[in-house]
Amino acid sequence: MNAPLPVHPESYSPKDFKSELKPIWCPGCGDFGVLQAVYRSLAAIGRAPHDIAFISGIGCSSRIPGYTTAYGFNTVHGRALPIAQGIKIANPDLLVLAAGGDGDGFSIGGGHLPHAIRRNTDLTYIVMDNQIYGLTKGQLSPTSPKGLPTVTSTEGSLEDPVNPLLYVLAYGAPFVAQGTPADMAGLAAMIEEGIRYPGFAFINVQSPCVTFGQPEWQVKQHRATMKPLASLGHDPKDRLRAMDLAQAYGKELYTGVLYRNPEPPATYEALVHQRQQVLGRDAPRRQDVLNAFIQK
Amino acid sequence: MSTKGIDFRDLSLKDALDLAILIEEEAMDRYGELADQMDLHRTPDAAAFFRFMAKNEAKHGATLVKRRNQSFENQPSAVTRAMIFDVEAPEYDEARAFMTPREAMASALRSEVKAHDFFARAVPLIRDATVKALFTELREEETLHQRLIQEQLEKLPPDPSLGAADFEDEPAPQ
Repeated sequence: MNAPLPVHPESYSPKDFKSELKPIWCPGCGDFGVLQAVYRSLAAIGRAPHDIAFISGIGCSSRIPGYTTAYGFNTVHGRALPIAQGIKIANPDLLVLAAGGDGDGFSIGGGHLPHAIRRNTDLTYIVMDNQIYGLTKGQLSPTSPKGLPTVTSTEGSLEDPVNPLLYVLAYGAPFVAQGTPADMAGLAAMIEEGIRYPGFAFINVQSPCVTFGQPEWQVKQHRATMKPLASLGHDPKDRLRAMDLAQAYGKELYTGVLYRNPEPPATYEALVHQRQQVLGRDAPRRQDVLNAFIQK
Repeated sequence: MSTKGIDFRDLSLKDALDLAILIEEEAMDRYGELADQMDLHRTPDAAAFFRFMAKNEAKHGATLVKRRNQSFENQPSAVTRAMIFDVEAPEYDEARAFMTPREAMASALRSEVKAHDFFARAVPLIRDATVKALFTELREEETLHQRLIQEQLEKLPPDPSLGAADFEDEPAPQ
C-alpha cells in the first residue's frame, strides 16, 4: 500500500543539497555532523531538492532546513511534526523530513509525537538531542540527566530525563534508530535508511552542545564509548529487545537501528487516499459540509 | 575517518587518482567551512590559518587532477564523495570559538596524521603496482605536510594564559 520512493542513485552529490547560507552554530557543534550526514543521505536517495520538504521547530538545531537547498519551513516551537504531517498528506509524493532539538520534540512539542507515530505518516523525524536548551543559553531540557546543574537548576536537576527511545518505541514507532556525529558513515546510512522506510522513522542523534553541554559528554567521548548495535548482533526486528536496549539511554551509547518493523503498517496518507477512492463522487460536497455545520 | 564501498585490492589507477582528488576536495571544503565558522565567531587568526590550509588542499587537488587528465581524460569517475568520510578533513568537533592559531595548527596536524594512516593502511592491500606507488607517494606527502606544520607550530609564540572559557561568545545575529 505504501509506495516506495522513486530512487535515482548517483544523480545528485551532497553539494547539491548545500545552500549558500552559512551555519551560525558554535564551532564544534554536533549539528554540523548531522547536517553533513543529511547531505550525504539525500544524495544517496537521489531525489531532487524540489521534491523534498524539510520542516523544523525552534532552537539551534531547527535552523537546519535553511542550510539545505530543499523546501524548508522553520516553524514555531514544537510544531514541526503537525506541519510536516500536513505537508505530507497534501503532497504524498514529497520526501518529508522533520527536525528539531530535544526540547522542541519532547517538551514543547511532546504532545504531537505520539499522534504522529500512531498515524504513521511517512516522514523522517531527526531529533538533535543535546540534553540542554542551547539557543537560550543553557537551561534544563527534557533529556538533561538527573543532577545536572544548569542556569535553571543551579543545585542540579531533580527530575529524571525523558527517555526518547523508550518513549517512541512504546507508542509504536515502526523505525527507531540512534546515531552520533562521531560516526558519520553510520549516521548518514541511518538517515538514508529512515528515509527509505515506508512509514514514520524516528532518529535520535546524540548531538552535543559545545557551549552549554556537558564537557565530559562531547563527540570525542562518543567516539570512545559508542556501541554499534550491528556489532552486538542486535536483530532490529526484535521490538522487546529494542525496548530493553533503549532503557540504557543516558548510560550506554548504542548506535544503529534499534527497531525496524518488518511489516510496515499502512501510512495515514495512504489510508486517506484509499478513503477518497472509496467515497469518490458520493463524498459530501464542500457546500453540504458547511451547510451541515450551520444547520441549513 | 572511513570509506564506504571501496575495495583497495581492486582499485585501478584512475579510481585511485579520483579517490585522492576527492580526499583533497573534502579537506579543502572542510577547511573552508571551519574558516567561515571562525570568521562568524570572531576568531580571525584561526580563520586565516584554515583558509591557508584550504588553499593548500586545493593546490594538491589541482596537481592530482592534472595527472588524472593526462592519462584518463574524459573517462568517467567510478568513485564519489559519498564513499569517503573525513579522510583528511578535520572533524567538525576539532573547531572551537576563540581557538588559538596553535590549536588550529594542532588540529590540522592531527588531520595530516589521519590521512597518512589512511594511505598507510591501504598500501598493503593494493595489488596494482601503479596504485601502490601512487598511495605510497601520497603517504609520504602526508609525512612532509606533518613536518611543515610541525615547523610552523614551533615558530609560534606560546598561547596566552587566557583560554576560550575566559571569553563569552555572544550568539551571532539571528
